[in-house]
Amino acid sequence: MSLHVLRATAGKAGKSALPADAGGVQPRAAPLRITPRHAPGGRTGELWAGLHLPGINPEKLQQLAVCAQRFTPRVSLAPPDGLLLEVQGSLHLFAGVAGLRGALRSECRRLQVQPVLAFAPAALAALVAARAGKPLAVTDPAQLTGQLAPLPLASLRWPPDTLARLARMGVRTIGAALRLPRAGFARRVGSEQLAMLDVLTGRTPEARVTFHAPERFRRRRELDCELENHTLLLAALAPLFAELGAFLTARQCAVVEFECRFQHRHVPATRCVVRLAAPATDVQRLAGLLGEHLSVLDLPEPARACELRADALVPYLPGSNGLWQPGEHGGSAGEETCELIERLRARLGSEAVHGLTRLAAHRPENAWALTEPPPAASRRGAHVGSSTDAVAAGRRPLWLLPAPRPLSVRDGLPRRRGPLRLVSEPERIETGWWDGGEIARDYYTAVDLHRVRLWVFRDRAAPHGWFLHGVFG
Amino acid sequence: MDREAKLARLLEHPTIWRGRSAAHQRGLPSGFAALDAYLPGYGWPRTGLIEILVSRFGSGELYLLLPALAALTRTAAARWCVWVAPPLMPFAPALVSQGIVLDRVAVVGGARPLWALEQVLGSGACDVALAWARQPQAREIRRLQLAAERGRTLGVLFRPRRAAREASAAVLRLSLQPISAGVRITLLKGRGAMRGAVDLLRPSWPV
Repeated sequence: MSLHVLRATAGKAGKSALPADAGGVQPRAAPLRITPRHAPGGRTGELWAGLHLPGINPEKLQQLAVCAQRFTPRVSLAPPDGLLLEVQGSLHLFAGVAGLRGALRSECRRLQVQPVLAFAPAALAALVAARAGKPLAVTDPAQLTGQLAPLPLASLRWPPDTLARLARMGVRTIGAALRLPRAGFARRVGSEQLAMLDVLTGRTPEARVTFHAPERFRRRRELDCELENHTLLLAALAPLFAELGAFLTARQCAVVEFECRFQHRHVPATRCVVRLAAPATDVQRLAGLLGEHLSVLDLPEPARACELRADALVPYLPGSNGLWQPGEHGGSAGEETCELIERLRARLGSEAVHGLTRLAAHRPENAWALTEPPPAASRRGAHVGSSTDAVAAGRRPLWLLPAPRPLSVRDGLPRRRGPLRLVSEPERIETGWWDGGEIARDYYTAVDLHRVRLWVFRDRAAPHGWFLHGVFG
Repeated sequence: MDREAKLARLLEHPTIWRGRSAAHQRGLPSGFAALDAYLPGYGWPRTGLIEILVSRFGSGELYLLLPALAALTRTAAARWCVWVAPPLMPFAPALVSQGIVLDRVAVVGGARPLWALEQVLGSGACDVALAWARQPQAREIRRLQLAAERGRTLGVLFRPRRAAREASAAVLRLSLQPISAGVRITLLKGRGAMRGAVDLLRPSWPV
């Protein structure tokens, strides 16, 4: 049985954290377990439209589910390729089953998917009929079992070995399976499969998870007068940020990206997108970040209206606050670090903050690289091997020039604002012949007249020039 | 109990004020015994702005700080060690060989080093920030000092030596001069500091 089919027993309905209207099970005082004496053919007053969409991708299924919400509020996903709509209440509006079928088809065409559409009083029946490629339209619960009978068992998507066993018994259609004695079927095939047959024929009602479109925040404010001043614009946005804060608090969500749009009189709207280093809920901080972004933004015209949008919402998991401030005893600086990264990037550009890493290469130019900013919390144990690696590296300067700089030479010795004194043994680095970046150099430590220590090398290839490559610092 | 110990115990009395006790907090060991004995608080201050004045870039000013930086990046709850607008790129293998954990090092580039330094110092996200600035105004240095206290951060500003004549709000100002066998460090300003200079000589001096 698919995970999305919840049995309508009291325990499970209580545990599934669904909104009250979501499951499709109306609260009732009736017995909690539906007995086999219950009339076949599904619950009265339900009609499900099942869409089988072979080969659809999850994003498109989601998109279709959002669009399908214009037919009915009760839309349910049956991944990977099914969609279910409870349409009893909408029949009148869309001129019956035929009219609804046409409307649904045109909606699917708009999204460029080819559905098989079936209507049945039980959700699973509609889906199974659609999977079998039969565009059934069963509105009378009494006819359901008869209409389902010729459909192949394979469309129930039971495990292949179960289907193979049944096929050996000569049971290939749903009708044949329904004719088998219940007790024997449960023993030989499985009680789960029997329960699924009950759901299929409507003996047991089914609770389906109602699809909820992902939420997003969009608020717009028309300004009383056209504004250009960044401070005033930020003040005008304050009520929108307050609304965003209330929105996030109510839903226990955080934003990872938000956008502010300014409408102008003549030119297209200016967009200002703020990306955050970590999910955030603090609107004061968001407003501050937007302020940083605005300070480097040039508005082509005064703004007439502003709009705040936050589409990417994520569930907010508040961390625990430390007892200590960062910098005291064991206080760590998680939030502050994210805030700092965002603030620097907002003003200086997204390339402003970097981390450093060392690479295992002999060429000095290739022995390091810029990385993403380091994480807020230290990864303990990540640097255990550093002290042993250090021995092999030899003497290296603290500063490396972006590219070796040629030095003038007199009497075979390098000069830089005066003669350089070589104070170390040469270290030969000769590598890179395999990838075209070949180097063959003798590195020395040199001291200039001002006692600044430099890392220089003599190229071993002709014309044997001297180059400055680093400063010891 | 010998005389030394008696005297030390007597001097611990809270009503006795001594010049050196003006540096309240025990400092961050610099890694050089001679320098520790010379600095107020027996080490680098843990919070606030210090200035290191050098005649030329690369006179050994960074080696002066490296042992302290390495110790800071190795603590359990280490915050970032930020290099703001360095004149060249710090060479990662050399930092590792000096014991610095690269996982804690961040480099901030960009056109506005003083603004960035103020943000870094005031954010509370960093243990130490190193910056190279051409000609900061006295007012800006005051702002940096306040930001460093707010963020409990040690800020280190490297400046040319001619700035020694200007007033500065930094808690500690040192001038550094390479000599034939090491470096000479002169204290220009410090709370409860000694006068004079200290020479760091080989082999304790790494260069």
